[in-house]
Amino acid sequence: MTDAVLEVTGLSRSFAGLKAVDGVSFKVMPNRITTVIGPNGAGKSTLFNLISGVLRPDAGDVFVQGKRMTGLNPASLNRQGVARSFQITNLFFDLSVRENIRLAAQAREPAGKMLRSVKKSTLAHEQSDQMLARFDLTAKAGELAGNLSHGEQRRLEIAVCLASNPTILLLDEPTQGMSHGDTLQTAEMLKQLAKQVTILLIEHDIGLVMSLSDHVVVMHQGRKLMEGTPEAVRADSSVQAAYFGHV
Amino acid sequence: MLDRLTISMRASHVIALTFFAVALCFALIATLLGDTFYMRLASEALIFGGLALSVDFLLGFVGQLSLGQALYFGIGAYASALVLMQVPSFWLALGGAILAVLVSSLIGGLIVNRVRGIYFALITFGLAQVAAKVVYNTRELGASDGIIGIPVININLLFFSFSAANPLAFFLFVLAIIMGFYLLAAWLLETPAGRAMIAIRANEQRVAFLGYSVRNVRLGAYVFAAMIAGVSGALYPVLRGFVSPELMYFATSGNAVIAAIVGGVGTLIGAIIGSILIVGAKSVIGSWTEHHVIFIGILFMAVVLFMPKGIFGFIRERIEMRMIRKASAPTEAKTSDETGVAGKQA
Repeated sequence: MTDAVLEVTGLSRSFAGLKAVDGVSFKVMPNRITTVIGPNGAGKSTLFNLISGVLRPDAGDVFVQGKRMTGLNPASLNRQGVARSFQITNLFFDLSVRENIRLAAQAREPAGKMLRSVKKSTLAHEQSDQMLARFDLTAKAGELAGNLSHGEQRRLEIAVCLASNPTILLLDEPTQGMSHGDTLQTAEMLKQLAKQVTILLIEHDIGLVMSLSDHVVVMHQGRKLMEGTPEAVRADSSVQAAYFGHV
Repeated sequence: MLDRLTISMRASHVIALTFFAVALCFALIATLLGDTFYMRLASEALIFGGLALSVDFLLGFVGQLSLGQALYFGIGAYASALVLMQVPSFWLALGGAILAVLVSSLIGGLIVNRVRGIYFALITFGLAQVAAKVVYNTRELGASDGIIGIPVININLLFFSFSAANPLAFFLFVLAIIMGFYLLAAWLLETPAGRAMIAIRANEQRVAFLGYSVRNVRLGAYVFAAMIAGVSGALYPVLRGFVSPELMYFATSGNAVIAAIVGGVGTLIGAIIGSILIVGAKSVIGSWTEHHVIFIGILFMAVVLFMPKGIFGFIRERIEMRMIRKASAPTEAKTSDETGVAGKQA
């Protein structure tokens, strides 16, 4: 049996008495795509914020590769291999596409290079070139990130996350607002990515979730309703009830 | 391919080099004409240019408006003056100023970097006002009179020495130091640490998720900027022979902000030249009328309205475009006429 890359146990967080996330536990296994789904207000985003260090949990723990990471801030978590993207595109809009990626990659350079010319951050440059090519952004490398199309910005968002060389990638609705064509392309790309890095996804597009995920965690009103393979989730009556109400 | 940020910095270097050449010509002409007034005035303007550079570093690159940068200028000036009253050694005075500014900016940085945006501006303003009032009411620091009668010193530069009263030598010395600061700031911005600072201006919230400690990056930038302001301040009593609490007042901080905006935020060199324009205008127009502030106000409004990137921000943009066109020229020649025309239009 392989060890989980990410494990959360009994994770809870309330806001003014409202339990946004309530005792959620699950494991994310290596090189797989695990997706968190659930109706609006199910606590998916809060869950992500708890895992990526934006929020501290009231109870419960987060383990990354077996090490307890509960309560670490986002910067430390990133250095421990947890990278995340955002539901609302969150980039350095007035910097170039290349610089967006390079900034993420240079954070992985040894501390001794922090005060030498950026030209000497060879690791960061190689990494940026790779990411640009991989995400089909090479032609746009010199553009300002703010001038890209929405679909390109969503791709860049993933590229920036990947450039910090994470062990686990948390993607918050990566295809949000994308055209159908772009969505299919992104799905294909995520499948390829999963060979290299473990992915935890929040996604609304149920069709995409079913075709893409190896494992699905269903949340409802802050709690984990069930988890299992896409097929098992699709067949589950409680999931249907959560989405469509009791008929 | 060249980075956009690198291109901008190179365009700034073109202006900086031109400025340096003009400054040397000015020194030559002033010496030939036997002038001392304008040379001393230019030295003073350059010293305040260091303060404006410090403001521009924070505002133009880290995205933080400091309304109290004169605090560190004043601390540098007072520390330097206090040392010079005891020992007439420039290097000792400089060391004292650096130490005082390092300690105070670390403390100040931990306080002001708890907040951002408009609150950052207000808290830097408040901090400087508090410190100025403390100095104003401290008899040991000369209270409202400041410290006067600082002796004229000889500055030892390894192989030779010169008197601070020699206008040409001191002007060149100040010019070298301020241009040194310019180069130091430009160098820092081209390192990973500096790029992380620029990233904070672009999107502070995202920086943490790339694995940088936002607090450390901001503190580093703040202390660096304070050092530039402080060492510039340390030169002030050497030139003028006195220091006074006014050096820490809002007028001093505000003038530096105006100089940076008129010159061009985010250009570094623009802040230095902007400061010379302001000090120059104050003195020249001040000799005709005491209402020179009106002129500076109008100049400031005109620049903000018609040249929002500042005088040298405007010029730098033109230089950047030429550089980009030049860089893409060889590839253009290979492609068809059509793309060549398109390239020229762009």
